[in-house]
Amino acid sequence: MTARRFRIIALLGISTVFLLAWAFPIVWSVLNSLKTDTDVLAYPPKLVFSPTLEAYRDVLFGSGSILPNLLSSIIISVGTTIVTMLMAVPAAYALARLRFRGKKLAGFYVLATQMLPPVGIIIPYFLVLRNIGWIDTYQGIILIYLSFSLPFAIWLLVSYFEDIPFEMEEAAYLDGASRLKTLWRIIIPQVRGGIAVTVVFVFLNAWNEFLFAVVLSGNTVRPVTVAMFNFVSVEQTLWAKLAAVSVLAMLPVVVLGVVAQKHIVKGLTVGAVKGGGRR
Amino acid sequence: MSGQGQVSFRNIVKMHGEFAALKGVTFDIKPGEFFALLGPSGSGKSTTLRILAGLDAPTDGRVLIDDKDVTSTDARDRDIAMVFQSYALYPHMTVAENIAFPLEMAKLPKAEIAPAVKDAARKVKIDHLLDRKPGQLSGGQQQRCALARAIVRRARLFLLDEPLSNLDAKLRLETRAELKKLQRSLGVTAVYVTHDQEEAMTLADRMAVFMSGEIQQVGTPAEVFARPNSIDIAGFIGNPPMNLVPARYVDGDVIIAGHRLKTTTTTAGERDVVAGLRPGALRMTENGLGGRVDLIEDLGDTAVLDLDCAGTMIRVRVADGNIPGEGDMISITARPQDIHLFDPATRMRL
Repeated sequence: MTARRFRIIALLGISTVFLLAWAFPIVWSVLNSLKTDTDVLAYPPKLVFSPTLEAYRDVLFGSGSILPNLLSSIIISVGTTIVTMLMAVPAAYALARLRFRGKKLAGFYVLATQMLPPVGIIIPYFLVLRNIGWIDTYQGIILIYLSFSLPFAIWLLVSYFEDIPFEMEEAAYLDGASRLKTLWRIIIPQVRGGIAVTVVFVFLNAWNEFLFAVVLSGNTVRPVTVAMFNFVSVEQTLWAKLAAVSVLAMLPVVVLGVVAQKHIVKGLTVGAVKGGGRR
Repeated sequence: MSGQGQVSFRNIVKMHGEFAALKGVTFDIKPGEFFALLGPSGSGKSTTLRILAGLDAPTDGRVLIDDKDVTSTDARDRDIAMVFQSYALYPHMTVAENIAFPLEMAKLPKAEIAPAVKDAARKVKIDHLLDRKPGQLSGGQQQRCALARAIVRRARLFLLDEPLSNLDAKLRLETRAELKKLQRSLGVTAVYVTHDQEEAMTLADRMAVFMSGEIQQVGTPAEVFARPNSIDIAGFIGNPPMNLVPARYVDGDVIIAGHRLKTTTTTAGERDVVAGLRPGALRMTENGLGGRVDLIEDLGDTAVLDLDCAGTMIRVRVADGNIPGEGDMISITARPQDIHLFDPATRMRL
């Protein structure tokens, strides 16, 4: 009994340490976004203060409004998600189902692209985009985002498609359905959960992306992750506004995370049980 | 929509790499027949069904349905309905939507679909479950739903791949009887794959017995039971299985464990044979083939005796009230027409 109790206390202790470490930046951002610039810099830090929405008003409706940047982020993330899913669903189905020459190799390259360090390919990407004049354009950023979101989405979806028994499709053929109709009416409805998870992951990856965005964006197309740094300058850092933008940028992530929590956990494990999911 | 449902397999070969799953299979199925493909697992019966359905392509040979070559016709253009072993119900659709699916694919008007679905569901007694999802059904109900989906379209051919194997023993017997009645009332040609000889014997009008990629015998259950073509079929059909004992053939007689029995064969000469004796065809007698009762399995109305005849084990089925004790010495005999002779080298009937 005491050993059991000790284990529970130890577990709770360790969980609390991790929770504090992870929650700290979020709590810090939320608190500071509600302070005035003076309160932010007060030392020792004020835990009790009169909260104000001034920072939010400034970043949303002030001279340096980040509304256009939020819009850019939305266009980029939604665009990336739509194009990715349109291509990933049929590709994952093909990898899971059809037998074709080079299938194994194709499966390997899908994964291999995931292993490249992004910093290593950012300069070539920049040069390519500059040569075709797509720097600081939506299509340019979405195209580059596809290069990592697409393999990821395919890899995730394949394991869902593989879970569907062959006989289900054969039954549909014998019932008179074409291959496309089978995919649409029989297969896709059964991998809805997997598709939802993939959409969430792809959207969040695009929404949170910073490294490529900072290099490939410009004054026209500047997602919020990059725009945040408007508030960090050589002379001063506007901490309250920076915190307010951070909270705004986190909002869709948190909402999606809560809504899709159940599916996401399943999505993270689905590959695990099946040993990577690819044969 | 419904055609005749006559099937011909012409020398069908199916290779999986070097392995021959089917080594030249030829048979015919008559319209309206209940035809069983019987054999142990890996004998090629399921491959045959899949080739008939169009789900697999044969390596060589022709498949004809109603005298039309369909070897390279798409599965969905063959007008065939199939019940899968796993039922393959669409889990995201209700029972009604599952049954309606083949009709929708055939682009039947909506007004005709609803009554057809009801009718098919009523035939398999699941018309009260139409709004459920497959996951909310018991195994037996799922099986009926799969049957309904297959019969709703009135396809010319009705394929069943071990449809009863996932049901418990009692339900299996009930469904077996209903299946037969259903097929009769629809008058549709049914092709039924099973490894259970009892299922094949009770359901089929005729059956093809598969052994390692070949058909060894085609006939009515009674024919196959009465005159098995080979040692393998003899040992496969019937329960308890036929006794297959090494023996010596001498001028019309067969010598088993030192005892001489008359056969229907009259050719002169002497050779080694395998003698086949059905447990139920053996009778106790005076001065017959003697043996000691090793074990008694009492089945209630009959009993099966394991008889040790000078080292050769022979099983005998005897009627209740006539059962000797364990360790007793008894002697048995068989009528000449009940003794099957096989060639030990070719394993075929002599």
